[in-house]
Amino acid sequence: MDELLDLVALAEDEIARAGSTVALGQAEARYLGSRGSLQAQLRSIASLPREERPALGARVNAAKERLTALIAARRAELGRAESDARLRAEAIDVTLPGRPFPSGGLHPLSATARRAKQVLGGLGFEFVDGPELEDYAHNFAALNYPEDHPAFDEQMTFYVDDTRLLRTQTTALQGRVMTGRRPPFRIATLGRCFRYENVDATHHHTFHQVDVFMVDEGISLADLKGTLRQFASAMFGGEVQVRFRPDYFPFVEPGVDYAILWGGRWLELGGAGLIHPSILEGCGIDSERYSGFAFGLGVERIHMVRHGVSDLRLYLENDLRFLRQC
Amino acid sequence: MRLPVEWIREYVAVGADAEALAERLTMAGLEVEETEASEAGAVLNVKVTPNRGDCLSVIGIARELSALHALPLTSPQAPPSSPDLPPVPVDIETPEDCPRYAARLVRGVRPVESPGWMRRRLLAAGMRPIGAIVDVTNYVMLEMGQPLHAFDFDRLRGGRIVVRRARPGEHLTTLDGVQREPGPEQLLICDAERPVAVAGVMGGVETEIGVRTQTMLLESAHFSRLSVRRSARSLGLHTEASYRFERTVDPEGVVAAADRACALIEQIGAGTPDPGVSDVYPMRHVPSTLSVRPARVSAMLGFRVSDARVAETLRRLGFAVEGPSLMVVVPSWRPDVQREIDLVEEVGRVIGYDEVPERLPAGGTTQGGDSAWGRFADRLRDVLVGVGLQEIVSHSLLAPTRLEDPRTGGQRLPIRSALSAELSGLRRSLLPGLVEAAACNARRGQGPLALFEVGAVFHRGDACYEERPRVAALLSGPTAPTAWQREARQASADFYMAAGLVQHLAQRLGVDEVALEPGDDPRLHPGRRARALLGGQALGWVGELHPGVRDDAGLRERTVAFELDAEALMAASDRRGPCRALSPYQAVSRDLAPRVATDLPFARVRAAVEQALSEVVEWWGLTDLFEGTPLPEGTRSLTLSFRLRAPDRTLSEAEVLEQMGRLREALERSCGATFAA
Repeated sequence: MDELLDLVALAEDEIARAGSTVALGQAEARYLGSRGSLQAQLRSIASLPREERPALGARVNAAKERLTALIAARRAELGRAESDARLRAEAIDVTLPGRPFPSGGLHPLSATARRAKQVLGGLGFEFVDGPELEDYAHNFAALNYPEDHPAFDEQMTFYVDDTRLLRTQTTALQGRVMTGRRPPFRIATLGRCFRYENVDATHHHTFHQVDVFMVDEGISLADLKGTLRQFASAMFGGEVQVRFRPDYFPFVEPGVDYAILWGGRWLELGGAGLIHPSILEGCGIDSERYSGFAFGLGVERIHMVRHGVSDLRLYLENDLRFLRQC
Repeated sequence: MRLPVEWIREYVAVGADAEALAERLTMAGLEVEETEASEAGAVLNVKVTPNRGDCLSVIGIARELSALHALPLTSPQAPPSSPDLPPVPVDIETPEDCPRYAARLVRGVRPVESPGWMRRRLLAAGMRPIGAIVDVTNYVMLEMGQPLHAFDFDRLRGGRIVVRRARPGEHLTTLDGVQREPGPEQLLICDAERPVAVAGVMGGVETEIGVRTQTMLLESAHFSRLSVRRSARSLGLHTEASYRFERTVDPEGVVAAADRACALIEQIGAGTPDPGVSDVYPMRHVPSTLSVRPARVSAMLGFRVSDARVAETLRRLGFAVEGPSLMVVVPSWRPDVQREIDLVEEVGRVIGYDEVPERLPAGGTTQGGDSAWGRFADRLRDVLVGVGLQEIVSHSLLAPTRLEDPRTGGQRLPIRSALSAELSGLRRSLLPGLVEAAACNARRGQGPLALFEVGAVFHRGDACYEERPRVAALLSGPTAPTAWQREARQASADFYMAAGLVQHLAQRLGVDEVALEPGDDPRLHPGRRARALLGGQALGWVGELHPGVRDDAGLRERTVAFELDAEALMAASDRRGPCRALSPYQAVSRDLAPRVATDLPFARVRAAVEQALSEVVEWWGLTDLFEGTPLPEGTRSLTLSFRLRAPDRTLSEAEVLEQMGRLREALERSCGATFAA
């Protein structure tokens, strides 16, 4: 009898002292295994008198259960400790830099174009694309340019042949759109323009413009001013003030040069005006019933103003240092 | 154009200082770029728009200020000449080129200097004083806007003036010392025998006035805008006179200017004018009359302007306004005013556009938003940015380059009279721009070089010019050059990365699989180049740049790229059908490891597999490729993984075996594949 008690005490002690799951496994085999001590105790039952056998059997089984539970608990404890130790050993320097993920970006002109398109789309303007390789008729004749006039001197042009040229202004789209539609309509276009100019910080032979126009009954300079203010507020933020100054573009009358109050100063943004009635009539639109406005501005200019860029050349140089800032 | 303020004040008594005048003029459409100081006091530097040639003079600016400040305008005074005593015969052969020609004679010419006040004004206006006669012609041009020319009358053969087009073989040395051979389109001033001036542009040296000149013929003429522009351009000669004639000169002011010049000459003692004038005016100016409706003015400007204000504003600008319906006679110096809307602008700009209120347009409209192409281009950008590429924008003009493949790009489209050789034609490919951007950044030690562009390319087609949108990308060298982990740092762009990008792009755009087959583009590595096909049609190319081409461009690392027709991609995008229900049954995965000849293109394997697939194969792909020992030379082992699943049942082992057996047999039959025992 005492032998069983001693055995259990010994086993409990050994389980408690087992320092690893391996040592615990050995202890388990020693006491609970098929060749273990408790099994030996059970076998010894055969030598006892019949009436004592059940009592001893019950005690041995109870001891087995008890030790099994102790071992399980101890195993869980040791397992946690060992796993903790293993994870501790797997520690890395979390302060090292992460693996660089390739991070792409939009070109600032695309990002600016996208913003302008969202704003104008919200104001009900539908974007239409026109060709960069235009014809003289759309780029100049349909826009009311007088034959061989000094107005052309401000539109130095790359010609491909006698009638085809690289558009000097996205306004070239107006005739293309207006001959196919009846008012009312609100149209915008955004794209690349070309002028025969030497490149410096404020001039480039290639640049981008957004051009916006609408035709409806009763459109006046007031509608132009209100729309410009809405557009400028959305593009530049806050409540901007718009100022009109007379200017000359053959396709608008009255012609306007518009500026916004930016950083306490008037900043000229582009040209605008009411669409010249001759252009409407040329597109088969009754200029007595309908009138329209048009305005345009440089996409580069928008970005330059918003981000304080002073050199136009940066936009087509593709220096990653510049592109990644935007 | 520079004009001293005190000269302007001679004709309109504006009290405001130069800065205030500059502001007022600018806000009325005559932009004063700056005000400067001079010996003649403050000078306004006015930028006159091409439609307002009438403002290229002291009187023109004074007239504007008189309207803006509601002050009276006076005119330069001079005793009028007599048309009854024409001093010289004048013949005009082409009146459409020269509607009016006036000439006066000045006798007893003395080579004196002009007075200090005149020299100071000329200097302030940016003109060099030369001698009294020439100075007076310049002075009156600045004052009244009418260009004048002084001939040495004694050198005019036959003592007469003939205005005509150039004849073959004629030549003339102009005042700048250049011998010129005018073309038959050009208008000349001639004497009885030969050309003596290019009309409206520049005089000739042979009849130039000098210290020995005794009698001077003063020309004050009106030449047509187109004629002078044609001459100035074809001679490459642009002068103060041609600048004004190309814009506006008042045909009615011709004689007044001649008289003003003669009066000044007499006043400063440089000669004695004959009282007569030869004034030949074959094409008389006919004033145009317009009606202006004040209601229309208000409707266009967006604010109410009274009838009286419309009439008053126009009158101050020199328009005659009659009757309650406002009939307006346009003055001879305003040919730019042609219809009612021009008068609306005149009224608006004099009142000032600050009065225009702000209003948002009301009423129906079309639906707003981006164009289909605009939206698609943005999707292209978003996909490529999303996998870590940086967008670039390069320009469309470039010199001929090996980086364009004439066979895929068509015939080059040159620019006529290009700025420079570097900008002599239109791009046929986006590759040159990408390579240049990559090389510039590589030179500056900047990376990683993973760039793309969306833009138009051009070429000359059979009967027309083509402009097509493309999308192209370029990757050069390591994709993470700054990583501290070696394996990340050393991972470099290769052909399969470019091919994978194309497949990713197609996948994201909802385009059917893009097929690649060996290509022949000479810009690319001969063993690593592919044509991209979409539905059997050419879509573009993918490949590694030819090392020679790459070296020439200044790129040291392996560089891969692709370029695709964006229009074709757009047309093929989003063709997927509706979603299918997900099968609730277990999938079965099986691999096949065929051993094939190394030179057998994978496309053959793909074709064989696709032939043998049944609908229970949910997905398949190449998941490993092995070459080298222990495989025999010239062979490689592929691992093809298959996932099988039926929508309506659990697949039986027999079905799976049947499918895999069919695949295996197909590979054996059409690819000569063997399988390890």
